[in-house]
Amino acid sequence: MMDQLPPGTPQNERTEPDAAPVQTPDAASAAISHREYVTQLFTKYRASLQRYLTRLVRPDDAAELVQETYFRLLRHENTVRLEAMARAFLFHTATNLARDHRRRGLVRRSDQHVALDDLEIAQEHQGPEQQLVGEQILAQIERAIADLPADTRTVFLLHRFRDLSYPEIAKLMNLSTRSVARKMADALERLSSVVEATL
Amino acid sequence: MKSFLRWRISEQGAGGWFARLRSGRVDERVDAAWSRWMTEADTHAKAFENTELAWELSSDLEGRPKIEALLRDLDAQFPADARRAAAQLIPGRGPFAVLAQSWRLAGLAALALLCVGIVTFFMLNRTSVTDYTTEIGEQRTITLPDDSHVLLNTATHVRVTYSRSLRRIDLLSGEALFQVQKDARRPFEVHALNGVTTAVGTEFDVQVNGASAAVAVLVGTVKVEGSAGDPKGQSVQVTLGQAVDYSAAGDLSAVHAADANRIRAWQAHRVVYTDMALASALQDYNRYLRVPIVVGDPSLAARHVNGVFRIGDQTAFIHALEEGLHVKAVATGSEIVLQKQ
Repeated sequence: MMDQLPPGTPQNERTEPDAAPVQTPDAASAAISHREYVTQLFTKYRASLQRYLTRLVRPDDAAELVQETYFRLLRHENTVRLEAMARAFLFHTATNLARDHRRRGLVRRSDQHVALDDLEIAQEHQGPEQQLVGEQILAQIERAIADLPADTRTVFLLHRFRDLSYPEIAKLMNLSTRSVARKMADALERLSSVVEATL
Repeated sequence: MKSFLRWRISEQGAGGWFARLRSGRVDERVDAAWSRWMTEADTHAKAFENTELAWELSSDLEGRPKIEALLRDLDAQFPADARRAAAQLIPGRGPFAVLAQSWRLAGLAALALLCVGIVTFFMLNRTSVTDYTTEIGEQRTITLPDDSHVLLNTATHVRVTYSRSLRRIDLLSGEALFQVQKDARRPFEVHALNGVTTAVGTEFDVQVNGASAAVAVLVGTVKVEGSAGDPKGQSVQVTLGQAVDYSAAGDLSAVHAADANRIRAWQAHRVVYTDMALASALQDYNRYLRVPIVVGDPSLAARHVNGVFRIGDQTAFIHALEEGLHVKAVATGSEIVLQKQ
C-alpha cells in the first residue's frame, strides 16, 4: 500500500470494472463530480478519521487505513450528497476496514488450526482475538446497555440488533417517534461516555 | 410526526445529533445545522466521534452472553412477526426495514429523492418507463407511487413501466423481491424471460438465472405463465410458501416449497448456508462479488458449508472458509483461489 497520497492526487487510483449504467434521478443534478465531492469531504474529516482509527489500530496502520477509506469512498459512486450521511458512511467504512485489518493480522499469526470438514463459523461467533478493541471495553459497553432504563434499552436493542426504524419502534412500543429518537439519544450518550472514559 | 420534525436543534448533544441523523428524516436543512454544530467547537467533533465509535463497537457485542440474553427477552416481548407487522404499517418502509445499515443510510436519502421523482411523474399522468440497476454487491429499494416496493438484489436490472392502468416490471437480469399493494384494477406484472408472474396484492421473489427463472411466493398468491400472452402456454397458481421455476421455452416445473429463509436472509443483507456444498455456496456468494472465489482443488468442491454470512463482508467469509475448511485463499487479481493447505 502507498504511504501517502494527498486527496485529489489521481495517479494511484484503483480502477474497478465498469459498473452497469445506473439512471438515478438525482445523478443529473450533481454540480461537482463524485471525485471532487469525496475529496472535499475527505479533506474536511481526515484529521477526525485519523484520530478515530488510532483508537482502534496502531498509528501507522491507522494512516494506511485512512488512505484505504478514501479509495473505498471514491469507488462508492452513489455517495449521498448529504454531508452527515456521507460522513456516517466514511466512518462506518473505516471501522469495517479496521475490523478486516484485525482479522488479517490474526490470519497471519495463526498457522496451526484444527482441520474441520464442516464450517460452523457464523459472524456472531468471533473469538476474543478477532475483536476490534479489548475485552474490557466491550464488557463495559455491554454492561452500560444492560443498565439502561428498560424502555431506552428496548429502543436501542430494536434499532441496533433488530434493524427497526424509529417509526417502526414507535408503532411497536406505542410511543411517539420523537420519544423513540429521544431514547436513542439517551442510550447513545451513555454508551459514548463509556467509550470516552475508557478508550 | 410533525413535532418530530421540529425537534429543537439547540438542546442536542452528540448523542442527540447521532440519533437524529439515523431517523431517516434528514434533509439539507438538518444536514447544514449538524455541520454548523460540528464546527462550532472541537469538543463537539470529538464527542461525535465517541458516539460513532460507541455505535460501531456495539455491533461487536452480538453473540456475547449478556447481550444474547437481553435479545432473547426482546424477541419474547416483540416476536419477529409483530416486528414485521409494525414495519408493514409504516408507509414507504415495509419489511425492507432490515436492509444493512450502511445501505440504509445511503438508501433512505436516495429513496426520498426517488419517491419525489416518481410521484411527480405520476402527476403528469403519463406512462413512465424507468430503469433501475444495482451493481455487484449492491441492494436497493424502489418505492412505486402506489407504495408497492421492489427490492433489487445484487447485479440486477429492472425496467418499471407505470401508469394509471399498468404496473409492469421487466426483470432483465438478477433477482428482485416484490411487495405489492392491492389494486384490483391494475394487476402487478413481473416479466422475466418470456414468462409473466401476475399478482394483485402479495409478496414474491423472482430470480433470473441464465435460461431459467424462479418464482417464490412469501405472502398471498400469484399466477405464473411460462409464456406471456400465449393462450396455449402453461400457467399455474402459486401460493404462499410455494415456488415454481420456468424455462425460456415456457415450460413450468412442478410447484415445490419456497426457500423463504434464503429470501428473508438476502433481504437482511445476509446469506444462509445450511450443509451446502462449497461449490454451490460459492456460486451463490459470487453473485455479490466482483472478484469471484473459485475452488482451486476439485476435491474441495464437495466440502460442506454452514453459517450465516453478511453480504459485503468478503474478508470475513474468506476467513471463515480458511479457518473452517483448512484452505488457503490466494488472490490472483482476477479471482480468489481456494487451495488445500
